[in-house]
Amino acid sequence: MNNVSSTQPPTSDAMRLEDESPPRTGSSRLGPQLTRLLLSNEFGLLALIILFSVIFALATPGFTSSFSLFAMGRTAAVNIIIGFSMMVVIVSGGLNLSVGSIGVCVAMAGGWLMQVAGVPWYLGVVGALVLGAMIGALNGIMIVKTGLHSFIITLATMSIFFGVMIFLTQAGSFRELPPEYVQFGRMKINGVVSPLLIVTLLIGVVLSVFFRLTTSGRRLLAAGANPDAAELSGIRVDRTIILCHALSGVLAGIAGLMLVSRTGAAIPSMAGQLGQDWLLPAFLGPVLGGTLLTGGRASVLGTLLGAFLVTLLTTGLLLLQVGAFWVQTCLGLLLLAAVLIDLSRRTYLARHNLI
Amino acid sequence: MNKVIFRAADISKSFPGVKALQQVNLSLNHGSIHALLGENGAGKSTLIKIITGIHRQDHGKLMLDDQLLQLHGPHDAISQGIGVVHQERNLIPRFSVSENIFLESLGNKGQTRIDYRAMHEKARVWLDMLALDVDPATPVNRLSVAQMQLVEIAKALSLKSKVLLLDEPTASLTSHETDTLFSVLHRLRDSGVSLVFVSHKLEEVQEICDQVTVLRDGVNACESRPMQGLDRQDIVKLMIGRSEQIPDWAARARSTSGIALELQDVCTSSGHRDVNLQVRRAEIVGLYGLVGAGRTELAKAILGKDRIVSGTIEVDGSPATISNVADAVEKYHIGYVSEDRKQEGLILMHSIIENVGITVWQQLGKARAFLTNRTIREHVEPYINKLEVKTPSLNQYVNNLSGGNQQKVSVAKWLAAGVHVLIIDEPSVGIDIKTKAYLHELIRELADTEDTAILLISSDMPEMITLADRIVVMNDFQVMGDIVNTRDYATMSEAIMNLIHRKQADKPTTPQTTPQPDNRAAL
Repeated sequence: MNNVSSTQPPTSDAMRLEDESPPRTGSSRLGPQLTRLLLSNEFGLLALIILFSVIFALATPGFTSSFSLFAMGRTAAVNIIIGFSMMVVIVSGGLNLSVGSIGVCVAMAGGWLMQVAGVPWYLGVVGALVLGAMIGALNGIMIVKTGLHSFIITLATMSIFFGVMIFLTQAGSFRELPPEYVQFGRMKINGVVSPLLIVTLLIGVVLSVFFRLTTSGRRLLAAGANPDAAELSGIRVDRTIILCHALSGVLAGIAGLMLVSRTGAAIPSMAGQLGQDWLLPAFLGPVLGGTLLTGGRASVLGTLLGAFLVTLLTTGLLLLQVGAFWVQTCLGLLLLAAVLIDLSRRTYLARHNLI
Repeated sequence: MNKVIFRAADISKSFPGVKALQQVNLSLNHGSIHALLGENGAGKSTLIKIITGIHRQDHGKLMLDDQLLQLHGPHDAISQGIGVVHQERNLIPRFSVSENIFLESLGNKGQTRIDYRAMHEKARVWLDMLALDVDPATPVNRLSVAQMQLVEIAKALSLKSKVLLLDEPTASLTSHETDTLFSVLHRLRDSGVSLVFVSHKLEEVQEICDQVTVLRDGVNACESRPMQGLDRQDIVKLMIGRSEQIPDWAARARSTSGIALELQDVCTSSGHRDVNLQVRRAEIVGLYGLVGAGRTELAKAILGKDRIVSGTIEVDGSPATISNVADAVEKYHIGYVSEDRKQEGLILMHSIIENVGITVWQQLGKARAFLTNRTIREHVEPYINKLEVKTPSLNQYVNNLSGGNQQKVSVAKWLAAGVHVLIIDEPSVGIDIKTKAYLHELIRELADTEDTAILLISSDMPEMITLADRIVVMNDFQVMGDIVNTRDYATMSEAIMNLIHRKQADKPTTPQTTPQPDNRAAL
């Protein structure tokens, strides 16, 4: 990616001139490309994942059992999608606090469609996701029309969506779902891999393609990085913001529907009061993965690895019989540590002209 | 009489990969104005940062009053009497004038109550000295850019500066405001302060400076020479190593080519009244005016960003409804090079290819399912090469480019878009002579070979007279008239000034408050 000159000879004198003297770096023995790779977020996360996997595998015998691996993969699948649903909004320079609330709304709508309306499960999924897109777009429209920060709007809609959902469902659950659908969440491929994880990986690929290879994805990144410049370059920033919130709604909905398939029921309290239980994983994935909170830069792979690391730590700590509250504390500390490490990493790269 | 008060001797400073300064010397006389000149990247900013304690030199020493100076930070410099007015504003917008002036000493008293009345009175002294007639209790965001500049100078003086460095203090000032500032600088000099003056505007430098130091590529091209006996060409030669080539372009007649953009009786929500304007194909129309005349606002109204209240816009002879910038770009092929390239022109955290490609995504994306970087590069690379953007790779972040190269990128994206009408707002703010000359040639060529209609907004009179075929003068959100450019500097500048002043003669009662305070603050 970074190596323009090797695929194509530089054509202008100016470019050739600079190519002959690449910026010198502090760590002169490593090439700048390698230093950059070793200091990338994704590489760091991979190293941590391997490190913690080894530690947990040695410390607890249950960690490497096929059941444990299956459960971990299935949980990771959901956490990663939750991370994605926040990431696509963070890229635009905003936040979406209502991801959990939307996720539960979509899950309940899916439950209702399948159980009460009696539609086939795949139509139920599609219908519920359309609702997710609409709720998300509603967030986006309100943000664009009012000009308020997405923080305020989604804080309000988090309550509103959840409240309306509780009113409509009378806080009841849907537990008689089509067996094919519930089966999907319990299925094991080769005894360890959950199909949910495969769905998640596919969505990851689709998102990567979206950000790298589509006009809409590029526009979203530009609008997130500098809305003024994007607008003056002919990008409809308003539409872009609405689109990314709709996308966030769909992704939150997918996470909700995955949970339904896993537990075999759509339950209003599945993401805690107002969907708050999702907030920590929603931020942890993108932030650990190197998505800039100020917008304009996304890392799909980073978010995926970040969310996976979180799941790994949670599982491992619980297997070590660390109390659940301590797990929460550890995750909070991890978020803080990640931000600090990221800061020093970026300072280092900037100081050595590697960014 | 010519006592040296401050000396920087044999200063060297390296950053990773760059030798920013090599054995640079500068000596400052008591009560003088010393010009520090050089192109972008010549090392002026680095030298200023060393003198003011922000960076530390690798080698060499700083002497103040024959005493060796050890600066461990900006505070040391301030306490030694070295003040600086940076290029960027360093005021706190919501604080009052006097709070800003005494910001450094506000904190020293800890928990005690601030005596605002005494502070305002103390501030008054400095404001009077600078002939700045504002209430010290006014929040600075209500001031004009020039007034803010003076407040910064007051702040530096209140710290008892013996040496005062001014980094491009006139960049955003009108010529009238510049004159006011210069009379202040003269008075300061006469009272014994030594001033270092950094500017890209050589006319100003020649006007007020006594001595000059020129840097080129991190070394002294000349050191503390008297200004007397140096003319503009000598200085340019020192700065760029050769003499400036003043383009001797023939005047062109464009009165027969088709009208690309026409405004008829346009009034806007930002306050323009009955603006009439025509730009023909292949014509460069200059839009001249003082800062705050409403030129940038007019450009934004044409682009559909600000609302048009009445009147019509025609593009290529047919009426156009432009409701947003996307319409302007996609439907009517109008592009805009912003005066504020960091905020509005470029996405600094993205790469060159993304910045140049942004205007062609739409067009390229239509024909194919996936828009790869390779496709975009094939389309935009010729323009980047044509503009000679200096970069190791197209994936370089724009943030890492020099000002001149950034400006080239912000022009390249509109070349790539192939616009029919290009509005260029202050193309040479903060870029060096070489790049400026290059951009001028390019703009001229764009009109000649591509038939692009160009509306050039500039406050730089020589630039205007070099480039424009016709000059439209604006003042106070109205068009005052237009003149065919004869390329004769003296007559043209007089004619332009007459047009601006016509208004003041005709309507002497029009108060200063007519331009929106919002616009002034935004500038």
